[in-house]
Order: sequence, then C-alpha cells, then structure tokens
Amino acid sequence: MWANNLRIIAVVLGTLALYTLIANKIPQVQSEVPHALTLGANVTPEQLVSAGDQLYHGAGGCTACHGLGTRAPNLLTDEKAQGPIGARCGKRESGKDCKAYLYESLTSPKAFVVPGYEPIMPEMGRILSPQQIWALVAFLESNGGTVDVTASDIPPASGPAASPAPAAGGGGAPGIAGGSTDPMTIIRGAGCTGCHKVGNEGGAIGPNLTHVGSRLSAALIRECILRPDTRVAKGYEKFVGVMPKMFGNQLSGAQLEALVQFLASHK
Amino acid sequence: MAGGMMLLQAVADTAGAYRDFPLIGSRAAIWIAAEIHLMFAAFVLGVPIFAVVAEAIGIFGKDQRYDRLAKEFTRLLLIAYSATAIWGAVFVFLLSTLYPRFWAYMTAIFGPSMWVYVSIFFFESFTLYLYYYGWDRWKYGRAKIVHWCLGILLNIWGTIVMFIADSWLTYMMTPPRDITAETSPTSIKIWHAILNHTWMPINIHRLIGNVVFGGAIVGAYASYRFLAARTEEERAHYDWMGYVGNFIAMSALIVLPFAGYWLGREIYQYDQSMGITMMGGFMSWLWVIQAFLIAVLFLAGNYYLWVGMGRIPGAERFRPYTKWLLVVLVLGALVWGTPHTMIADSRELAAMGGSHHPLLGALGVMSAKNTAVNLMILSTFLSFLLYRRANIRQVVPWAKTGTRIQAGMFVIAAAIVLFFGIRGYFVEAIVRIGYSVYQVGAVLACIIFVTVIDVLMARGAQSLGAIQWGRMPPRSQYALFILAVTFTWLMGLMGFARSGIRQHWHVWQIMQDTTPYAATPALGYAAIMISTCVLIFLSLVGFIFWLGGLAEKSTFVPSTVEAPHVGQ
Repeated sequence: MWANNLRIIAVVLGTLALYTLIANKIPQVQSEVPHALTLGANVTPEQLVSAGDQLYHGAGGCTACHGLGTRAPNLLTDEKAQGPIGARCGKRESGKDCKAYLYESLTSPKAFVVPGYEPIMPEMGRILSPQQIWALVAFLESNGGTVDVTASDIPPASGPAASPAPAAGGGGAPGIAGGSTDPMTIIRGAGCTGCHKVGNEGGAIGPNLTHVGSRLSAALIRECILRPDTRVAKGYEKFVGVMPKMFGNQLSGAQLEALVQFLASHK
Repeated sequence: MAGGMMLLQAVADTAGAYRDFPLIGSRAAIWIAAEIHLMFAAFVLGVPIFAVVAEAIGIFGKDQRYDRLAKEFTRLLLIAYSATAIWGAVFVFLLSTLYPRFWAYMTAIFGPSMWVYVSIFFFESFTLYLYYYGWDRWKYGRAKIVHWCLGILLNIWGTIVMFIADSWLTYMMTPPRDITAETSPTSIKIWHAILNHTWMPINIHRLIGNVVFGGAIVGAYASYRFLAARTEEERAHYDWMGYVGNFIAMSALIVLPFAGYWLGREIYQYDQSMGITMMGGFMSWLWVIQAFLIAVLFLAGNYYLWVGMGRIPGAERFRPYTKWLLVVLVLGALVWGTPHTMIADSRELAAMGGSHHPLLGALGVMSAKNTAVNLMILSTFLSFLLYRRANIRQVVPWAKTGTRIQAGMFVIAAAIVLFFGIRGYFVEAIVRIGYSVYQVGAVLACIIFVTVIDVLMARGAQSLGAIQWGRMPPRSQYALFILAVTFTWLMGLMGFARSGIRQHWHVWQIMQDTTPYAATPALGYAAIMISTCVLIFLSLVGFIFWLGGLAEKSTFVPSTVEAPHVGQ
C-alpha cells in the first residue's frame, strides 16, 4: 500500500520536476513595463533617442514584428534598397515629412499601411504616453535620418502609461545620465556625441574631442562646457550658438569635474 | 456615475490602490488562489457533464453499472465542491484586500452579475445535494427520470455560473473598444461589458476543457483505487472506471484545439498586438512547452490504450500496427514542437543566419504544425478503433467492404491533410489560414463516418472473449497519473498564457497594473508557480479522495452482467 503511494508520489513529483526544469532551461523572456518618461524642457535629441532605443528594444514590444521581415517592415536595417527607416520615412506619404509620418504610424497606424503588409500595427497611443511616442519617433529618425523632434513637440507628462514607478532611460533619471560620474556615460547622456567625435563615437558637427587634452587645458575645457560661445575653435565659426549653454545647470559639480578631467587627459 | 467615481476615489484614498502580501507578494498570492480555485472549479463543472451522461446510459441502456459509476463520480464531486467554494472565497478576499482599486472598478461594472452568481451558486449547491442524496431514494420509474433531470439542472446552474465568471475575466482581456481609461465604470452597461470579444470562445473552450480535466482526474482517482484494490472485482471496477475517465478525457481533448483556435482567432481580431504577443512575442516559447505537454498527453493516452489491449482477447491481431502509430505520434510531436518565430538577440540571429532557422524554420510554420497535429489526432483515433474492435469479429455480410471503406476514409483524410499542408507553403498567409479548416474538416468527417460504419458493422458481432477487466499491469495506471498531472499543468500553463497576454494591464489598455509585480514573468518563474499550484491541488484532491474513501465504501457492485463492450 505504502509502496504504491510512494510510487504515485514519485511519478507526480517527477513529472512536475521535468516540466519545471524544461520551462527553466529555455530562454527566459520577461514582458517589461514601459516606464513613464519625464522629459524636461531642455531635453536633447540624444536623450530622446536613447529613451526611444530602450523602448524599441524593450517594453514597446516593437521587435516582435519589426525586424523579422515578414510581419512588418524592417526599420533598423535596409528595406527594399530604401535604407533604414530614418532614410525613407520622409518619402512614404506625400505631404508628410519624416516626423509627421512616424508620429502618424505610431498613433494612427491604419492611416497608411505599407504595401505588402497587413494592417496589424496596434495604436501605440493606447499603450505608450506621448513622451514615449516622441522618444520612439526620435529613435526611428536617428536610424538613417536626422532627429528633428524637439522639446516643443512633447506635451507635459500625462497619459495612460504614466506610472509612479521610477523612470527608465536617459530622460527620466535625475539630471544628466542619471547622475552618473562615469565620463563616457555623461558624454552619451548629455548628447555630446551628437556633434562631437570622442574616440570611435560621435558626429562631425563640432570639433573632435578625442585628443582635446592636447589642445586645451582643463580650465579651458571647463569654460567651453559652461560658456561654449566664449571660445570658438578654428574652422567652426559658422556653428557659433549651436552648442547648448545649459550644462552648467544640468551637470552636477562632480559630473562636470569628472568630464573635464577625462577630456583633459586625452592628449 | 458620480457615486461610483466617489467610491473609487474613496477606496483609492483610504486604502490605497494596492496592498502587499507577506513573503510571497500579492501577485503570487492571487496567482495561487485563482489557479487552485479554477482547478477545483473545472473539476466540479466537468464531472457533472459526464456523470449525467453515464446516468442516462444506465437508465436508457438498462445497465446498473453506469448508474453506479455516475454515482461514484458525483460522490467525488460532492467532496470537491466545498473545496471549490473555500478557494473561491480565499480568492475574492485576497483580491479585494490586495487590489482594492481594481476590485472597486470591477464591482462597479459587474456588481449585479456577482449577486446573480452567488444566488446561482446557492441553487447549484442544493441541487447537487438533492442529486447525490436522492440517488438511492429516486431510483426507479418516473422518479429516476426526475433524478436524472436534477443532474441536467445541476449542469445548467454550473454552466451559468461559469459563463458569468468568464465575463469578468474576458472583460479584463478584451474590453469593448469604445470603453477607454476615461470611461466611468458605473456608466458601462453590464451586458455591453459581458458581450465582449472573447466571452463566448472562452465559454466553449472551458466547457470542453472542464470535461477533459474532469475525465483525467477521475482516471487518476480510478487508478489510485485500482492500485490499492484488494479484490479482483474491485480491481476490475476501477480498471473500467479508469478506462472510461481516459476515454472521456482523450475524446474531449480531440475537440479542444478547435475551440482554442477560435479563441486565438478572436484575440487576433480584437487586437493584433495581443495575438502577436501571445504567439510570436515574449510568450512564443510557451507554445513549444505546450507542444511538449500535448505530445506527452497523446503518447500517454495511446500507451494506455495499447497496454490495455493486452487484456482483450483477439487484440494481438492489431499489435504490429502500434509501432507505426508510435512513429507517426513521435514525428508529429517533434514537428509540432519546432519553434518558428522567436524573440532572439543579435547573437542568436547571427547564429541562425536570419530571423528563422534555415532548416527548422520550415517545420515551425503553421502548415507543418497543423498537418502534424491532424495526423496525430487521426493516429489516436485509429488506436481507439483498433482497441474497440479488438475482441470482436464482424459478421455482417459487408464487413470486408466496410473495413475497406474505413481504410479508404483514413487514407483520404490523411491525403487531404498532407495536400493542404504542403500547398500551404506556396500560398499567401491569408489563404493558408483557410486551409486549416479543410484539414480539420477532413479529420472530423473521417472520425464521424468511420465511427458510424464501425457501430453498424459491430451489430451482432461475434465475441472473441470478454474483456478481462482488472488484468492491467500497474505501469498502465501510472500513465493515467501522468495524464492527470499533465492536463492539470497544461491548464495552468494556458491560464498563464491567457492572463499573461494582458501584460502590465489589469484591464487591457484601460487600467494599468502599477504594482512592483506588473511585469509579466518569464516562463521559468511561471513554471515554478504552476507546479506549486498543481502540487497543492493534487495534494488536496488526494486528501479529499482519501477522506471520501473513509466516509463511504466504494460503490462498485459485483459483476452480474457481462462487462460492457469498450467504447460503448
């Protein structure tokens, strides 16, 4: 009798253990919650792109369809020799520039469906807040195009996805780069690489900062960050006024010093 | 409306939107309470369906054995009923104390239906008591028919109760599209909320699923009693009971995927992104696990039948065929379990050479999977047919022709399934989806017509010997336990899929979950929760059945008539 009972218990426990083990051996994917974004009036394109990047690859759920090449167009890679989405978005609908088209695609996806695909795109405005929508627009523009989403496009934080949970992504953390004092995190979080090249990263609108320590002292670097128009690098006169002047307000003292010492050491 | 809003506000202000549960957290607490309540509920809703059918066979077939079987089913039901109510109360108390704002929202919409629910639950309880305790009193003549009608009434109450509860959970999944986050819950018409997209598909799916589940648990109970039996007659009775439980579970299981397909289609029609999350998003691996579980069900169910043929004189004629059936089942299971669209990182995509694996990607599509599962269903039906015919020799003059027609029907059905499976690779997705209807139609038509022919052919058939009930090796009984555990686990897994596709929403795109547990967990965590729930449920069921055994001796009767023919 007891032998039978023990065998039954062993069969039940063994079966349960087997199923639990298999389910734990496969890749573990958790559905993340899209955290609310709090984007300040001085939000930079880079901050938007960074937040949009996180949404696109995470809680936005975009990769469930985009990127497979079957359910929905590839966005981050080439699609029918038209380049990534940032390069082709302005040509999709006549009369609509890239920003307007991408915003419409996210909020009213059935207004225009790319030929060859089914109208399966959900209305992201029901799922994400306006801040998150605009962050996605900026991220998509950044893939092959120019980011022209600005703080003026973004309404104050509210909407269905607003939550008391701490914000994720570049825009929601306290201060630039979430208060980090890691120089490269500050450089990326502050959007420096949007214009300046640092090592292998960044653009060519402003002077290359890879060896800035060999040209400028720490004091001059600090001055250029706090008051960018007081000294203009040779050959970049036409860009006077482009560099934001708010870093003195946004960077903490520790962040500023970490950044200055980092750049000054790059000779 | 203002009153409702004030109520919501008051609840939010005074009690907060959420409270936490010690140690395991509020999500795990709700998960366990809801899951175990549902498992008991499925049992007490499924068993009356076939109890009343067994009683009808007993009445109209004048076979006391079925009547006794129906009574034994109902005795299990009686004991499990209070456990269902207790876990239901635990669930409601936890929900109202841990998620007060959500609870206030739901009661603002569904309050009247909750009152009706409780009333019908009350009627259902007393109908059950009358049904069970009146069994021996209303045993003959017109009184027996009245008693049988009580069984039907019990099923009606149970079905209404389930339909009401289904409206709440389906509203959470697929609230009507004109309802938004700004809509006051008290302004929502209750029928409008009930008649949502997935209400009826869930109702039908659960109705069939409950029969499958009830059959499996009854099978496990019978196998437990079989292993513990002290006499040959007792062993014979519980062997037969286990066979009936398995037969009910497997028969209903064959229909269940079609109801699931309807439910899935409605989810896609309601919101494509929800459907994609379910089938191709973060839940995509879940279907590989599901395929594995269903493969276990098919294999264990067929194994039980094949072992059972050992107690049937004449069955040795068909034994050589079983290995080929096993080959089809294993191949089908492998194809069904092949992943197709998975969330993969760039390293995994690079390793595969694209978004789909070059070889397995071709087998992971629905054309291949539909073909595999339809062939598995056909194979299982063939197993049952061989089992059914094992101890008879047909004497009707057209027996050979009939068998050839049956074989032809199998070949035609398999050919249709294969043809549309292969053709599906060469047509658009929208056309391909329609092919599954032809495949399913061919299989169902084969099952129906072959069964009809078989019944007609069996008229006056010569017996090769009575089935030797009780002459089953113990290993066959463990297959019944595996079936019960797997059905229960599968129910937990599918419950996770249904509930999990809402992701971080209490009510899809209307009321967001803002607890620390809002993220839908990965399958590993879900599996631990499911196994915990299954273990608690089976432990309680085991205890309840043991108590039942103490309270009343088995109702089996010594064999006074020849054992019923299999499948009848």
